[in-house]
Amino acid sequence: MSTECVTPGRRLGLANELDAGPGTYVRNGMIYASILGTKSTSESLPKPTVQVTRSAKFAIPTIGSHVLARVLRINPRSASVSIMMVDSTPCKDFLGTVRVQDIRATEKDSVRVHTSFRPGDVIRAEVISLGDQRSYYLSTAKDEFGVVFAQSVDGNAMVPVSWEEMQDTKTQCVEKRKCAKTF
Amino acid sequence: MSGAVNDRRRINGPARSVEPIYTPTVLDSVAKGRSDGRGLDHMRPIYAKAGPISDAQTTASASGSAFYEQGSIRISCAVYGPRSARKPNARRAHFVCDFQYAPFACSKRSPTQSTDEHETSLWLSNTVGPAIRLEMYPKSSIDAYVTVIESDGKMATLAATINCISLALADAGIEMYDTVAACSMGLRDSQWIVDCTHQENAECSVLVAYMPSVDEVTGVLQTGKTTLEVHEQGVQLCTNVCVRVYAVICRALQASVE
Repeated sequence: MSTECVTPGRRLGLANELDAGPGTYVRNGMIYASILGTKSTSESLPKPTVQVTRSAKFAIPTIGSHVLARVLRINPRSASVSIMMVDSTPCKDFLGTVRVQDIRATEKDSVRVHTSFRPGDVIRAEVISLGDQRSYYLSTAKDEFGVVFAQSVDGNAMVPVSWEEMQDTKTQCVEKRKCAKTF
Repeated sequence: MSGAVNDRRRINGPARSVEPIYTPTVLDSVAKGRSDGRGLDHMRPIYAKAGPISDAQTTASASGSAFYEQGSIRISCAVYGPRSARKPNARRAHFVCDFQYAPFACSKRSPTQSTDEHETSLWLSNTVGPAIRLEMYPKSSIDAYVTVIESDGKMATLAATINCISLALADAGIEMYDTVAACSMGLRDSQWIVDCTHQENAECSVLVAYMPSVDEVTGVLQTGKTTLEVHEQGVQLCTNVCVRVYAVICRALQASVE
């Protein structure tokens, strides 16, 4: 696996000999680099893949990516969140919405937003759609998605005790949240 | 025509317009050589650095930046994005260039240097925009803010601006089809001279922005009046010099990564 620094527009190889990986594009049967980064070739079938990688400074949410977001507001139909991280790259000021039907996978009719999220919670979610003009649509319908960090009404950090409850570490009060499965 | 005179709702142009007269300025003969001793097809020395603003602090909000010098032309550019757009387009990113002269950039000091800052911003957005893979960033906006710190030769400054924006975009890690390289030429004594300074004010100049690797011209700008054959010759010569500028930009980008 040779590594070499390439600039955008650099020719990397022919499209019928190599597969175009991330950071490259194909035009007229030739693979070109599309970002400034390090070129690497990895063995794969049926053709080796060439890609250009660079640690990204900012990312935008893409469908299927896992995001960390902070809840800004809730209303009976949805929770508005501010997306902070996309996979493992920081994200700048993109908004997301978790609709009430996307909070849980089962018993969607009986879900209430105020017993799942509260403003200020940090949640892990998955991007399911580009959404509307203002925000992306997110979903917490799987076990590994939900609240990862929250503060109780007394201001102390809470730890999850079950998939639907979190407990204040100091006062032992229990509050209802849709928790992410961290164990 | 009388209706136009009474029409107060619209801004009317002049009732009569004439073609501007191009008076050729009398300049020293080209055969005497250029004032700074350069050859006719030599560009001024280029110094380019990618990442001076964005690398300094990790919390800086600019994704990419560049500082570009060409002779005494000095330009800095900061790229912000991809960040959320106010009017998002679900298919592609919105790219905007904001071009500004510093008040001390030209020979005369004034807060707004030029009435065509806005027009130049639009032209830059249209010239550098096609080089970016905007479809990779739906619902986002990419903004490039360019400040000309010192200007020397209008067309040469514009060409240097395009080079600076390309550097900053590549430093920001934004996906592009190719790095855009630009250079300008002035016509004197029926000869094309590369990279005219403010002193070598040519009556006709042409600027070409070119992507050498994919062999596509993204923008051509011409001022002054000339015949089609001379114009074509100028564009071709410019394209050849752009390839040399491209090599300098790529070397500066590679140096910034190491």
